[in-house]
Amino acid sequence: MGKIMLEVNELTTKYITRFGENVYAVDHVSLKVEEGKSLGIAGESGCGKSTLALSLMGYYFAPLHYTSGEIIIDGQKITGMDPDDIRRKILGKEIAYIPQAAMNALNPTLKIIHFIEDVIHAHDPKATKKEIYELARERFAILGLPEEVLQKYPVELSGGMKQRTVIATSVILSPKVLIADEPSSALDVTSQKMVIKMLKDLMEKGFVKAMIFITHELPLLYNVTDDIMVMYAGQIVEKGTAREVVFDPLHPYSKGLMGAIIVPESGVRNVKLTAIPGTPPNLKNPPSGCRFADRCKYVQPECKVRSIDFRDVGNGRAYRCIFSEEQLRKAYQNG
Amino acid sequence: MSKGYFRYFLNKLVWLFITAVFAFVLNFILPRLMPGDPVAAITARIAQGMSNSTGMKEVYEQYATLFGTNRPLLEQFFLYVRNVLQGNFGSSFSQYPRPVADILKSSILWTIGLQFPAIIVGWLIGNTLGALAAYLKKGFDKVLMPISIFISNFPAFGMAIILMVIFAVDLKWFPTSGGYGFDMIPNFSWDFIVSVIHHYQLPFWSIVLIAIGGQAIGMRSMSIYELNADYVKYSRFLGIKDSTIVRYVFRNAMLPQITGLALSIGTMVGGALVAEIVFSYPGLGYTLLNGVMGQDYPLISAVTLIITIMVLLANFLIEIAYGLIDPRIKAAQSE
Repeated sequence: MGKIMLEVNELTTKYITRFGENVYAVDHVSLKVEEGKSLGIAGESGCGKSTLALSLMGYYFAPLHYTSGEIIIDGQKITGMDPDDIRRKILGKEIAYIPQAAMNALNPTLKIIHFIEDVIHAHDPKATKKEIYELARERFAILGLPEEVLQKYPVELSGGMKQRTVIATSVILSPKVLIADEPSSALDVTSQKMVIKMLKDLMEKGFVKAMIFITHELPLLYNVTDDIMVMYAGQIVEKGTAREVVFDPLHPYSKGLMGAIIVPESGVRNVKLTAIPGTPPNLKNPPSGCRFADRCKYVQPECKVRSIDFRDVGNGRAYRCIFSEEQLRKAYQNG
Repeated sequence: MSKGYFRYFLNKLVWLFITAVFAFVLNFILPRLMPGDPVAAITARIAQGMSNSTGMKEVYEQYATLFGTNRPLLEQFFLYVRNVLQGNFGSSFSQYPRPVADILKSSILWTIGLQFPAIIVGWLIGNTLGALAAYLKKGFDKVLMPISIFISNFPAFGMAIILMVIFAVDLKWFPTSGGYGFDMIPNFSWDFIVSVIHHYQLPFWSIVLIAIGGQAIGMRSMSIYELNADYVKYSRFLGIKDSTIVRYVFRNAMLPQITGLALSIGTMVGGALVAEIVFSYPGLGYTLLNGVMGQDYPLISAVTLIITIMVLLANFLIEIAYGLIDPRIKAAQSE
């Protein structure tokens, strides 16, 4: 087993609404990512994926608040650190973030190179402009971005180019962990492909040591990441290797997600797409039992009463359901 | 200057010229559409006590020829164009034989001296307060906003009259009217300067207060919008310092405010009208009022021409300068 780059134990964060209500969008989430590995997080919109991405950064600002749990990056515990220290020493340097909407992620009135200067100066005030330019030029060249981009304003770049610029900027300080929140969702297929290739390059060339990739597109995760976790209503409901989760989902929610994928390949043209009926529960007052119970085909009276624990089935595979593996497989076979 | 930008510049220049021509024609025609005969009024004044109707007619004819009002309007227009191009605005009807240029010369400095500092001060204070309200939020915002909304919705004459009643009539701190003591002759003595400053306060603050309110509201909402922009969140997650982010935000929030500043400088003369009239301040606004009362076509045309030219130039300069400041506009221009 490789060195653990990111370890998260029982992390809980909440939103405080303007009416003072607590919404626990990330609820006792634990995960581990080893050096050189990538972890995918899947789920439908509103299930807490993006909040998890924000929470993993260890730096919180309203309306998101830290509640409990710990985040450890390469042996260094960052939860409980002084926020200013996190800002200066951790963000961008140890852990970096790629936002969902690269369209608006860059200051519209700042040239890319000046933004990169600000990023580097925040951590190393002594760096000279020349050094920074050299570093940026070199890094952009390796990642296949033209040098001219550095002298441009964000409006002068296309959507795909902007996203790739954002990625290159995020990892300019070679952070250990990269959190990518739907980095390719808003792009066309060609740009998407380039972004994915770039993320893979980052790992291969060692600019980042571990990556968390968040998306609602499961087939994408299967192609990109080593492991996958499925999230539902702020909780992890299933985890395993990419292959296991995609081809042999255990939790009824994961199963439902796989059934809802459109695969444009021959032979599946007439396969009926199944959707999961209903919507995720309101997290202001989450159900006391299984959070998926209201939408689950296989729901039992018991599900709605007691909280459901993770069932560890070995090799890092686990899921949150009252049924055993055999029971679930049998149920899926019978449809 | 790029080729695209140059083309944009030319395009704007052509439009500036076309608008100026139309405005010039309107400036000439509109005052002359007023009912009444100014020459008759002058004749009546000059020929006071004269009972000889042939003599009155003679005087009338003489003035009509002098002012050219007995010629066809079209001919009058071309004469006017020729004269204006030579810097000659003709003689004033109401203050005959004083040339219009002379009247303008003595009043324009008063207007610029009153308006320019008032606009700049109001803009600076208003924007600072608005930015602070957006950044500090809480109590400061809750107090400043209602006051700003209240003040900015005051009609200009209302503000001027309230200030006059409180500080000039009741408290007798400042004089009620004029640009300097009525018993003085303009010169560079201490007494005169003190008197000017003393007379300056009420008209000045009546303009500043209203400007502060409007600018503060605009800047606050722009700043709030920018503070919540995606690039702020992204910059934070890259560890960029708050001071740097605040610089981004306020620079971007300021851009639309610059348009407001340039526009109010352009419409300075029109804006001065009310404050100058209420305080009988010897500026262009007060002159224009006198011109309208005396059906003084040359004077009205000249004052409105100055206003028109200032507005057009201000707009033109904003559009040109804006393209240089804001890369988004520059990109749009070059397309």
